[in-house]
Formats: sequence, structure tokens, C-alpha cells
Amino acid sequence: MLTRELAIAEYDSGEIKPDRLTRARHAQYLQLAQRMLNTYEHGLGVIRKQLHQRIHALFEQEHDCPTRRIDAFCKLLDEKAVYDKDDRAKARSLRCKVFRMAARHHPLVQSPDRMFESGEEATKEEIASQLGIPWCEIEQKLFADVIQFHRLREFHGYDSPADLLARYNVAQTQAVLYDASSMVVWAKDDFKRILRYAKLARLMHTIVRRPDGSYQITFDGPVSVLRRTRRYGTAFAKFLPALLSCQGWKMKATIQHRRSHWQNQFCLSPADGLKSNVQPADVFDSSLEADFVGKWGDQPRHGWRLIREGEILFKHQKVFVPDFVLVHASGRRILMEIVGFWTPEYLAEKQKRCGCFVITESSWRSPIRPKVPN
Amino acid sequence: MRTYPFPHARYPLNSTDKSVDTRYSVTFDQGTLLLQCPSTQHHSQRDHLAEQFGDGVWTWDDRVAAWRCEAFHYRNVITTLWRQKLPYLDEASQWEHIEWPGVEIHSPRPEQAKAIQQWMEDKRGVVVMPTGTGKTEVALHLLAKTQCSTLIVSPVRDLMYQWHRRIKLGLRYDAGIIGDNTFNVRPVSVTTYDSAAIHAAKLGDRFKLVVFDECHHLPGNFRRDAATMSIAPWRLGLTATLIRSDGKHADLESLIGPVVYELKIAAVKGKALADFDVIKIPVHLSAEEQFRYDTDSLKVKTFVRERLQTDAGFRWEDLCSESARDPIARDVLVAFRSKQAIEDRAEEKLRVLEDLFRLHAGTPIIVFAGSNAMARDVSIRFLIPSMLNHCGKKERFEILQGLADGTYPAIVANQVLDEGVDVPTVKVAIVIGGSSSTRQAKQRLGRVLRKSGNSRAILYEVVCMDTGEEKRSRKRRKSDAYERTRHRRV
Repeated sequence: MLTRELAIAEYDSGEIKPDRLTRARHAQYLQLAQRMLNTYEHGLGVIRKQLHQRIHALFEQEHDCPTRRIDAFCKLLDEKAVYDKDDRAKARSLRCKVFRMAARHHPLVQSPDRMFESGEEATKEEIASQLGIPWCEIEQKLFADVIQFHRLREFHGYDSPADLLARYNVAQTQAVLYDASSMVVWAKDDFKRILRYAKLARLMHTIVRRPDGSYQITFDGPVSVLRRTRRYGTAFAKFLPALLSCQGWKMKATIQHRRSHWQNQFCLSPADGLKSNVQPADVFDSSLEADFVGKWGDQPRHGWRLIREGEILFKHQKVFVPDFVLVHASGRRILMEIVGFWTPEYLAEKQKRCGCFVITESSWRSPIRPKVPN
Repeated sequence: MRTYPFPHARYPLNSTDKSVDTRYSVTFDQGTLLLQCPSTQHHSQRDHLAEQFGDGVWTWDDRVAAWRCEAFHYRNVITTLWRQKLPYLDEASQWEHIEWPGVEIHSPRPEQAKAIQQWMEDKRGVVVMPTGTGKTEVALHLLAKTQCSTLIVSPVRDLMYQWHRRIKLGLRYDAGIIGDNTFNVRPVSVTTYDSAAIHAAKLGDRFKLVVFDECHHLPGNFRRDAATMSIAPWRLGLTATLIRSDGKHADLESLIGPVVYELKIAAVKGKALADFDVIKIPVHLSAEEQFRYDTDSLKVKTFVRERLQTDAGFRWEDLCSESARDPIARDVLVAFRSKQAIEDRAEEKLRVLEDLFRLHAGTPIIVFAGSNAMARDVSIRFLIPSMLNHCGKKERFEILQGLADGTYPAIVANQVLDEGVDVPTVKVAIVIGGSSSTRQAKQRLGRVLRKSGNSRAILYEVVCMDTGEEKRSRKRRKSDAYERTRHRRV
């Protein structure tokens, strides 16, 4: 993920638009991306600072390019790179040796005189000969543990130039979410996956069932009920790639501007075409369910339609998504969970878990209002 | 001294206890407190809670069906329950009683004793004492007295390690470290503001006492979570400079407590601290540097002037956003940065350094550089150690130790040394770059002010003439840390 300083976004009448490279407007970037990948692939053994300078040089003639965008590319390239860091102890002990040897000559003066006899050059030559390494090499190694002076050892790269650009677009979108205080997702499909990944990102949810059978899920964190906070921004950003790999959703995030504290909306849906590096889910949890769907077929049977994972049971932070919902033409609904291998204890546990969800007709018809005691 | 009902150790919790339903239960949830009211409580809970705890403390959270509030209300919440004799179960606190393996701290000086006594009265509040007057010792004495799980929050990693060392030396306790890629939580731990804020949801219930060192850093937007998301009923703030330029120091009262003790810098002058001189040494850019500087300057000035003609509200920040679309603006931004780099790394500064090293040969010297690059330049030119961000704690310690015992004649540092890090007694410091904020100036002076014998300390300021650096130097002198110092020019 990018650091906050590398985020680029525009504000347009309350809407926030993260930097986005498209084929239509940024055709030249495909070629630039290829050259960036080449720079790193051919840059083994080169120090980080120099690699970054080379990347910046590629963009010299490019009119439409903020410095931050170039820095962001450097960051994304570095994410796939391995740098030599083993020099830390070596550089440190070299420094210690050299500085201790030089201490008795202090101060090293430009032109030695009667009071101070240690000339800079002569002292450096002397130290070099005592260590048996030429001075220029010592100078190069003295600060080899500084991050900018690390040398590139491996570069794992991106599959294609387009891949790097796709990653860039997602990374900028994630960076917008760093300042998000809450996120609302409207979902028709993939509830289970959306909720599971949100839980992995340690977000809390508030679920409301809408009349059309879709769900409105608000994500935030424990403190959010007390004050607006950007604390959970990174959690939203981590959750985003998983959301992008889902289908049938719409998202709106509330973004708080760092300095002005203005609020902006940020909207996203699969139609925006961002590509995720998270694999889409397997369609079924187990082959049992797949077999069942296969046998049932696409058509309704005796007026009953079979919908996979079409309902969320929830109470507070507990969530359960049954495998299937059977919907009758008359409007009746039956929730169905397929149990494969079972033991009496397993069934008892499952029954207990389902027992805590109370479903009323009204909870299917109207959104649930928060109930404050008395 | 008032007593409070905070348990010494975790309340023994019996989950099968049938009386649970008749009690208020307070739990800690990721940086907040959750309250379950007794099921016997039938009249309006909202009014009841507002009446008992104050308006707006508790908020109903339908996501978990409980009342929620910020963790720092813990002290108020428990005190209220206790005073009103309401039956309650405190499941929030997770702290312990500490037996220090051995207390070996100097007995406090009169002003330190006063500070200790004042804070102990209510066990919350801020102690304001100038750099070099022994804030750390005050805190160690309080730790020895309170004997409870304690978290010490410091601004930078160096300071964190320094606290670790001081606790080991003074209280013979090996404190946990949270930060610098380590997450080792012990009943007494040290951390940084950033780590404390990031991990606040996990750490908030573990410590009964939190010490905020250089606490003027706390009211930052995100950093304040280190205080709001902690239930610690006892809080100590330490600082030399309470004032923040954004005025947020007023928030410290609610985050930590009121100022319980304040020692003015003038009161200690000549006692714990030595008198000192400030000597400004102007340097000029070389002809080649001046040419590049002027070219860059002209570029920036021309651009800004042109923009101001068409757009009177043009500000410097606009340039940064414009540089995205406009290659010319980008060029101007590059020119601005190169201008700064030229004055920061002016060649003549190295020559002046040589002269000062000659002048003070045999006296330990600390050089403050404005950037890592300049610090490395100095380090390579004079072969003296540099304290930079990339140095591990061992190396930093080795360097400071080396300066103290005379292994190294001089060292160069960037801002990592800026605050409170224990520096060996030094009577000569040289500032060759840096920003102009009041606090930084004060902290930097604190380094050279430490008393040793009767000799005066000297602070040299090496400043490029006819550049922005000169302006910053003038601004620096306005801070009250420079008050009553003798200014000389060379």
C-alpha cells in the first residue's frame, strides 16, 4: 500500500476522485510502465536512490505527471523488490573502526600546520592502508545500511505493464480510504464473503435488510459510535481488494479531509473496473452444495426457487449466512443449511447458534431501527 | 490524600456468579468502555446514566446492545459507581501490583520533591520543568511510589530506549518495549507516541499509570488516541514547553490533567544550568553556489509574482497541487528544494566547522545538521560519528557513550537528538542548519546548557547570509530560550 504522502486525489463538488490512469487518457503510460519494469529488471546491484532517479528520469518529458505519481510508482516497484540489507552490521562496524582510528587525529584539517598536523587526505590514506581497503571503497561502504543506499538484489516484477498500472489505480483508491470514517456497502450477492473479509480487517458492521432483498451494510469500528475518526482508515483500505473481487455491490465511503475536516463522499462499484489481486471465491464451500444445486436445476420446482446464500441472519455482531433460501411464488421463504458430516454435539452447537437469531416478518419488510432501551 | 476504588490487580471474575445481573458491568472493548446495566434497572437508562455520570458520557451502541464511552472516562465512571454505592463489576482493568526489584534513585532535590508531592495529591496532572532539571527522576520517584503497571510514552525511539535504561538502573526492572519493530508488552513498558496511538485498542486496559514524556506532543490529531483510548486512572505529563503553536495544549487538561507543578527556566539559570553565549557566524555561498541559488531563487520569485498578478489569493500550497498538472510549476518546486539544499549543504559551513574544531580542540562538541545528507557530509569530511535515523539503538548508545568517555572528540546529529535524549555534558554546540520552531531551539539549547564546573557554554549558529536561513535564525532568537543570553557576532 502507498503511504499517505503519495496519495493523489481531486475534489469535485463534494466527491473525491483518486488518481486514475486509463487507456483512453493515459495511453503513453503503458509504454512508460514497460520501461519502469525494464529499469528494475536490469537494475540488479544498483542502489535504491539511483533506481528512483532513473524512474524519475523516464518521466522528464512527460507533461501530465505529478512527482507524487512517480514516487508512488517507485513504492509499488519497491514492494516487489528485495534489497540487500545484510550490510547493516558490516557498515556499522566499519564506521566504528574508522571513526575510532580517526579520533586521535581530530580535527582533520585541509592544510596541516604546526598546531594541527593531520591533513584530511593524508589521514584517510593512512586509515585506508591500515584497513587494506582503498579509501573510495571505504567511503562507498561507510553508509551502505542507509535505506537509499541499499542495493537491489531481486525483482519479482508485475505480470505485465498493464498489471502495474492496475495495481497503481487500486493503490491510489486505497490511499483515499486511509482518511475514511465509515463505509456503506449495498450488496445483492457475495454477502458471506464481504462480511468475512470485513471481519478479517477487524471492522464492525451494522446490517439493514432492504425491501428488495439486498442488504445495506455499514462498516466502522468501536469508537465510531462516539466520534468521527479516521482510525479505521487502514482497515477499509485493506478490505478494499477483497471487496473488488466480489460481485453485485455498490460502496460509498465518507472521507474526512485531513486539515479542513470537510467531508467528502467516495463512491465505487464493479462498474468502475478496478482490478483486484485477490482471487475470486470458489463458488461453493463444499461439493455437497454444488451437487445439490446441480440436482435441483435452474428451474423452480413446485413453485419453489432455490437461491444460494441469499439471506443474512444477524444479531449485533453475530452473523450467519445459511447455504440456501427457498422462495415460494406465494412469498414464503425457507432457510436451508446443508450439514455434511455431523455428530450430535455438532448439531446441538449449530442449533444453539441459529437460535439466537430471531426472524420476524417485519425484519424482512422494513429496515430495523436501532432500539434504545426505553 | 484521597483514596480511589481502583483495584490493585485484576478483579477475580467468577463467570458463574448469579449476582452478575444485579450489577453494572464495565468492560474494555478496543479502546472504549462498554457498560451493561443491571436487568433490574427498569426506569429510563438514558436519563439515569446522564444523571449519574454526566450528560453525553455514555452513548447507546446498537451494534453490540450496550452503552459505550471513551476509555479515558474510566476514572470518572468507577469513582461514580463507587461513590453512589452502586453494585458493579470492573472487568476492564488488567493491571498488576509491581514490586520493584530494587530502588536506587538519588533523593530528590527540593524542586523535584515539590513536584512529586504535588502530583501525588490527585495522581493526575502535568509537571512543567526545563530541560536538564531532572524530569526523568521525578517520574522514577513516582513510579517507585505508585508501584503499579505503567506505560511510558516518549516522542522518539532514542528516548524510549533511554527510559528503558533509566528504569533498569533506577528500579532494576527490565521494562517491555513497544515500538521500533518490537511488540513486547510487560506490566511496565516503554513506547513511542505513534506506537501507543496505533496499538491503543490493545494496550488501553493494561496500565494503571501512563507517563507522557514531552507531553506537548500528545494533543496531535491521531496521537491523542494514546490518552483517550486508555483507561489509566493515573496520568503524568512531563514537558519543558507546554505551549503549542496550534493552541491545542489546552486539551492536555482533559487528556492528562491540570498543571500541578511548574518550574520556570529563569529560576534554574545558573543553578542547575550554566550560563551560555550564542555566537552567530555568517557564511557566504561560494560563487558557484550563489549563482545556482540566485537562479533558483529568481525562478521561484518570478513564478510567484506572475501568479499573484492573476490570482491574488495564490498561496505556496497551491504550487504543490499545481505541480501535478503543470511541468513549469513542477520545475519551480524542484528549484525551491534545490535552493534549500544549497544553503543546507554550503561548502563554507565545512570550513567554518574546521575552524571551530581547531578553536575548541580537546573539548567535546556536538554538531547539529539540518539534514541527513549534511550530517553525512560532515561525518565523512571529519570522520566523526553521525547519529542518524538509520542507526540502531546500540550504535546510538555507543556514540553517546563514546562522546562522554572521550573516545570521540565530536559527533554530528540531525533531529533524532532533538528532544530530551540524555546527552553527555557538552559545553560547545554548533548548529549548522535546522528549522525555526521555538521548541526545537529550546531543546537544542538544553543540550549545551548542562552545568559543569563554572565555565560558560557556547552555542554557535552557522548561518548562510542573504538566504532564507538567516530569517529562520532571527526567528529562532525570539524564543524565550534565548532570553538573557549574550549575542555576539564574529
